[in-house]
Amino acid sequence: MAALLRGLRAGRALRGLSSVVAAPTATNPQCGSLRRGFHCAGLRLQDESKSDKPPSSTTYHEHYQARSAEQDTAASASDPAADQSTDPNTSYQDQSGEQDEEYETEEQLQARILTAALEFVPLHGWSMEAIAAGAESLGLSSASTGMFEKGSGDLVLHFIAQCNAQLTEILAEQHTQVQLGQAEPKKTADFIRDAVETRLRMYIPYIETWPQAMSLLLLPHNIPDSLKHLSTLMDDIWYYAGDRSTDMNWYTKRAALTGIYNTTELVMIQDSSPDFQDTWAFLDNRIQDVVNMATTAKQVQSTGEAVVQGLMGAAVTLKNLTGLNQRR
Amino acid sequence: MNKINYTGTYYFQTEKKHLEKFNEILAENRVRPTALLPFWNIAGFVLGASSALLGKEGAMACTVAVEESITEHYNNQIRTLMEKEPERYTELLQVIKEFRDDEMEHHDTGLAHDAENVPGYWLLKNAIQLGCKAAIYVSQRI
Repeated sequence: MAALLRGLRAGRALRGLSSVVAAPTATNPQCGSLRRGFHCAGLRLQDESKSDKPPSSTTYHEHYQARSAEQDTAASASDPAADQSTDPNTSYQDQSGEQDEEYETEEQLQARILTAALEFVPLHGWSMEAIAAGAESLGLSSASTGMFEKGSGDLVLHFIAQCNAQLTEILAEQHTQVQLGQAEPKKTADFIRDAVETRLRMYIPYIETWPQAMSLLLLPHNIPDSLKHLSTLMDDIWYYAGDRSTDMNWYTKRAALTGIYNTTELVMIQDSSPDFQDTWAFLDNRIQDVVNMATTAKQVQSTGEAVVQGLMGAAVTLKNLTGLNQRR
Repeated sequence: MNKINYTGTYYFQTEKKHLEKFNEILAENRVRPTALLPFWNIAGFVLGASSALLGKEGAMACTVAVEESITEHYNNQIRTLMEKEPERYTELLQVIKEFRDDEMEHHDTGLAHDAENVPGYWLLKNAIQLGCKAAIYVSQRI
């Protein structure tokens, strides 16, 4: 197990080395003189140390230090900076005044990078290039892509989480409006339809590359997270639609909605009608199907009950007729 | 017979009240209900029906066994909540304590109605309690 981890770290370091070689030339072309070199080394180390120390960034530190020691002779300068950078709580105001030094968690940093990366998705697709471009647009080194263990799957999952959060916000707002009496409560089918349409419309800016994103989500290491996001999305939609069931209905409703949502998503990615009208028509039909099925199930149940009552009545009548019912 | 009918009805009403309250708490806190619920519905019915076939003492013995299991479960829950954050869960703790006291009362009533007189009381009681413990364990996970 330890050998496996060491091997993983070595592999990551090797990958990082290639991007480290590329990065310094891209980000800081003016690192010529000694003094400026010292600043550059400090800046780059600072960038790397912004995140809390995951194992990958330790190796990047070492490689950056090696790199900057090669490039400029400010090798001694790297060490005190490295010492400072091992304690993320230290403020770096003296090193360079360009960046605002507030303590930021690794998750927040990753979220920032991924949000920035979304802009580059139409250009690079859902890939590490997009994440690298996103990092660079924030002024960070593109080698910070090493933070993302699941690669471009991280980008897709981040986007999905963002969309889910947006939808929950919209639904919660609608919910409070209905409670305040400012809006009429929608019928369940209409509510579901609107919620799914709102959610799927968030994909429209990325619809060209969405098939790639969907295939990324099917990779084994992404499946648990994508299923988790999907199940919380379905739970949220049903909760705001007013579902408070505590029995098997809880499961059947969510399963039905998952089916509707996934099939509509698939229709959407190959839909070329204006404003995706075909997709919304498909969605309407699927919701209608489920509503019909629920109605039919209820009808079957009440018919069944009526039949049983009829049979019992017939049995009692028979008993009376044959005189077996002696309780007169 | 009428006394049994009355007791049985009283049990039923109390338990129904408990079930409604817990369903309410479940929905409020958006908790996922256990997927095994249909099984427990069937199992509960079968247990009740078969213990009633053993006569009045059988039904009472079943009651005693089940109430003991549920009281233990409630006490475990109270312990867990007290360890975590009693201030945050005051209402829930109140509910659980009240229900636990109800169940203890059922238990004592069951004993008062000659539960121990059923043949094989020890075996019956322990078998039912084992089943209850297994059901609780599994439901907490699935």
